[in-house]
Amino acid sequence: MNAPRAAGVDTRAAIRATGLGKRYADLLAVDGLDIEISSGEFFGLLGPNGSGKTTTLHMLATLIRPSTGSATVAGFDVVREPVSVRAAIGLVFQESALDRTLSVAENLRFAGLLHDLPLRVIGERQRELLELFGLADRRDSPVAALSGGMRRALDIVRGVLHEPRVLFLDEPTIGLDLPNRRRIWRFIERLRARTGMTVLLTTHYLEEADGCDRVAFIRQGRLVESGAPRTWVERLGRHMLEVEGPALDGLAAALEAKLGAGLREGDVAYFRCRDEDVAAIARLQAEMGSRASAWRVRRPNLNDVFLWVAAGKALD
Amino acid sequence: MRIRPVYAVLEREIVRMVRQRTRLVAAMVRPLIWLLVIGGGFAAFIGEARGVDYKSFLVPGVLGMTMLFGAMLAALSTVYDKESGVMRMMLIAPMPHAWIVVAKVVSAAAAALLQAILLLVLLVALGYAGRGTEWGLLAAALAATSLACAGIGMLTAAFSRSLDNFAGIMNFVIFPVFFLSGSLYPVRDLPPALGWIATANPYTYGVDLLKHALLPGAGSADFGIGLDLAVLGLATAVTVAVASWRFSRESAYEPMIHVLANRAQ
Repeated sequence: MNAPRAAGVDTRAAIRATGLGKRYADLLAVDGLDIEISSGEFFGLLGPNGSGKTTTLHMLATLIRPSTGSATVAGFDVVREPVSVRAAIGLVFQESALDRTLSVAENLRFAGLLHDLPLRVIGERQRELLELFGLADRRDSPVAALSGGMRRALDIVRGVLHEPRVLFLDEPTIGLDLPNRRRIWRFIERLRARTGMTVLLTTHYLEEADGCDRVAFIRQGRLVESGAPRTWVERLGRHMLEVEGPALDGLAAALEAKLGAGLREGDVAYFRCRDEDVAAIARLQAEMGSRASAWRVRRPNLNDVFLWVAAGKALD
Repeated sequence: MRIRPVYAVLEREIVRMVRQRTRLVAAMVRPLIWLLVIGGGFAAFIGEARGVDYKSFLVPGVLGMTMLFGAMLAALSTVYDKESGVMRMMLIAPMPHAWIVVAKVVSAAAAALLQAILLLVLLVALGYAGRGTEWGLLAAALAATSLACAGIGMLTAAFSRSLDNFAGIMNFVIFPVFFLSGSLYPVRDLPPALGWIATANPYTYGVDLLKHALLPGAGSADFGIGLDLAVLGLATAVTVAVASWRFSRESAYEPMIHVLANRAQ
């Protein structure tokens, strides 16, 4: 993959979607998406379950035909040049794309041959990548005997064996425990450092999206926000007030009057506040704090942004 | 067209076949039971069919049966592939999706051919084949028949959503194709309605070609060699074309993706 590229190619978008949409008979899964992702960028697509993230990814990967709009990946049109697109991308699905009846090495041999790689190249890259992903001693294990974390790692090795220019990761750490999620992220970071490939990630683990250069939020098939994770958090506000209690209604209404609309989740209510509100909050706590079982002022994080946007509220 | 992806699918098919010993043993035992037990039983009171003793008459039929079952089961494993991750690996490979169908058909035919050759060795050892066999014609018959059977299997797989209807496929596709052919009885001695069905069944022509090759000049065949080859070639071309068309439409695999995308809703 690291073949010398023509000058200027790097500034071209790795992924460009214009008005990309998908309608199933009864369901508008994706509604006129515009995305542009630069070469080498690490881009996160966030959104609740069923928001259209996977459908978007599959349209970009040529597995689903868009109903509206168009998209290019690595410079190739996803509808007119699907084979060229597939040659340029790697895809790690939410569910494993491996043959459980074959061994680790046999799976990679199968995947490599499907990508038209010579056996010698498959052997070399397999050795390198299995080393990088901590699977070197599992070459001959049947896939069925691997743990969930190892299988995911192998799935990623499978996805990058042909050195794609663009890598799609669809919830790569879903269903894994924390140590394994961290391991997968270390692998992906090493891989990015080595190859500089463009990565498009979907996830709903927000702390994972923190490492992205840019994130976009998609809700009910529409792109609602996009930007760098840090500016997002800054846009949400300087502080978050988190109030918890069994009978919040009166308290929440009083706080809303001072701080603007908040977010309610059962027994917890969130409000965002500016620096100048802090003094007012202290007064409010003296007045009404006894009505809440917990009262916290803290820095907002990407989780707050996620909940805020998922609830359909504007960030600014 | 790129040949490595086809080789990848072929290699996987053969590796799986060799590892699934029971499948291989069953592929040998099933036809031998038909030949020795059922053939032996019927031979006792039928005596001969079309001038050949009944067991010898059955030899082309059981050889064809090995290919029919071998190719159909291998092609139907595509349905299993759709439910496991293997189809995803093939779908994201940089080749037209119709090429997956071609690769699977070639692999299924190769698996069936290997089983047929193994059985042929057994049949020669047991003295049921080899004398007077026209080997060149037999090779052509084995190749053409296994390809046509793989095509029929792939067509069935392309229209099957899940493995649940596997038993249904066995009962409503494989068995009728086998019974309504010239495998067990000469086609021209069948009652008219059954005769028409057998004549419309492409597999009949595979068995007929095997009869030409294994029992040359015995008069047990119903059609000419040219017609047999033409029908088998046409059947392969049509089934592969229709299966590819079906497969290139995303609806053939989109349900899987749709389910994945909306699983958590």
